[in-house]
Amino acid sequence: MSWQLAALLLLGGSTLLLFMGVPVALTFVAINIIGAVLYLGGDAGLAQIVRNSVLSLMNFSLTPIPLFILMGEILFHTGLAIKVIDGIERLIRQVPGRLAVVAVVAGTVFSAISGSTIATTAMLGSLMLPVMLARGYHPTMATGPIMAIGAVDMLIPPSALTVLLGSLSGISISKLLIGGVVPGLILSVAFVAYIVLRVRLTPALAPPTLIEKRSGWQSWRLLVLYVLPLVFIFAVVIGAMSGGFATPTESAALGAIATMGLAAVYGALSLDALMKSLRGTVAITGIILFIILGATTFSQILSFSGATDGLVAAILGQGLTPLMVVAMMMLILIFLGIFVDQVSMMLITLPVFMPLVTRLGIDPVWFGVLFLICMQLGLLLPPHGLLLMTMRGVAPPEVTTAHIFQAVVPYVIMSLLLLGLLLLLPAIATWLPNLLI
Amino acid sequence: MQRISAVFGRVFDGMMLAACLLLLFMTLLIGADVATRNLGVGGIAWSNEVSENILYLITLLSAPWLLRQGQHIRVDILLRVIPPRIGWLFEWVSDLIGLACSLYFVWYGWKVAVASYQAGAVTIKTLVTPEWWLLAVLPVAFLLVAIEFVFRMQRLSKAERSPRTDAVSAS
Repeated sequence: MSWQLAALLLLGGSTLLLFMGVPVALTFVAINIIGAVLYLGGDAGLAQIVRNSVLSLMNFSLTPIPLFILMGEILFHTGLAIKVIDGIERLIRQVPGRLAVVAVVAGTVFSAISGSTIATTAMLGSLMLPVMLARGYHPTMATGPIMAIGAVDMLIPPSALTVLLGSLSGISISKLLIGGVVPGLILSVAFVAYIVLRVRLTPALAPPTLIEKRSGWQSWRLLVLYVLPLVFIFAVVIGAMSGGFATPTESAALGAIATMGLAAVYGALSLDALMKSLRGTVAITGIILFIILGATTFSQILSFSGATDGLVAAILGQGLTPLMVVAMMMLILIFLGIFVDQVSMMLITLPVFMPLVTRLGIDPVWFGVLFLICMQLGLLLPPHGLLLMTMRGVAPPEVTTAHIFQAVVPYVIMSLLLLGLLLLLPAIATWLPNLLI
Repeated sequence: MQRISAVFGRVFDGMMLAACLLLLFMTLLIGADVATRNLGVGGIAWSNEVSENILYLITLLSAPWLLRQGQHIRVDILLRVIPPRIGWLFEWVSDLIGLACSLYFVWYGWKVAVASYQAGAVTIKTLVTPEWWLLAVLPVAFLLVAIEFVFRMQRLSKAERSPRTDAVSAS
């Protein structure tokens, strides 16, 4: 069988099943079964898939995933998030679109603790959206910043999907996690600048709100008591990882314990809150890792069938420069992001993309951060973007789906601009990891 | 059928609870390992290995519960635009493929675990354990997933002729 037919069967077959609504994990299992019969020697191959599936999850590089998610879930379920928002709100006073700016700044702080984009978006959506709408904010100005900063959570460590990308691609997880910091902060600053400018031009989008007068310690109390300790936890997680004291898994465990400890000190860690956090974490982890379990042999079968080599050779044979190849890969990822989830994006593309990265001598950390930005875009792209749906889930009925789709447009454009900037200036992604690790 | 389904629902709840407690244990175990190692009192050598095993167990313990909740992610963009009745038929195809894949894991998982048991294979890392201990969990978990697929199809047969509103993406 030619490599073209193998690629059509494996990549085309998995796409077909995905679009028929078969759960992602079982889509890959079904294709793997066919692939094992055709390319891995039938019965022996079918038994090998089982062994691979078991081994795929007994992988220490994947253990930060639940721990990073747990940090965000604790922040969400213990009510610490409300205190953080209050603390930040007291500091940001005379700014156009004040509450939207507070959402972005609070979202950036949450991102530094939470490894789950859903937790961050749901947190901000349930806590800040009702307040903004009640104070007359236009639905697009109220929802857009929350979804946008929720997506940035994937870039700012800790991030569960970054760990998965590192584990599946073989790129250093520590470097990837730290490589996302600068691009993530650039986006946060750009979002704030956009909100301020937009509201200055059209003040009706975000009417000014009355601010309670506080002075001295009162205005700083919540910041010192609630925000700074969280920033400290972030510093410990990143410091332990980059300083070589702990692996990403160990840093993640320390972060999760510190978050639980902090919640306990505030008297917010009830048994109910702890169990809700654990349940939420197990659910998200189970969803992600079940796909890994099902899909683990897919890249191996693609390679055995000759499809990987064939595709790589065909792309290299075009005589494109490495930058053009990277740009093409990003376009494919953005296109995929419109239709499929982030884990599937990685599983479908990495078996072909990583050999290209190696053969062309492309910096893997740079490529990894570009990949992350494309996945971040996928979270925001209508009609399928996960965070659009998360927002739909927490927004009241007066916020229409059209509002939500319209709201993300400026933030998608800013993310695309950052992607372009990063393509031209790789140092934005590689400078910090090279400095620290 | 509904009563049997409810009994399995409680089993899935129990498995989910076990997964939550294992996650808490894993978090504290890794934390204790880092703390004791950096305090110069040794560290817990088996911490990494047990954590890896827990990750595997968490995934399998939560799988049937997630299926019952409709949380295993899938792409529903096409299901939403085609006529509802055809979407409902696609749901049948999807469930049948899911059932077949689960039964594949039950059968081959069982064969691999039995072969490992008969060969007396052991996993030698920090701990030395019989390999079949962990291999055997896979067919058991997928048997429960397969059973839930049967319940899903039973619910689908009685439901409105349109696609489900299951989860569509993750993390």
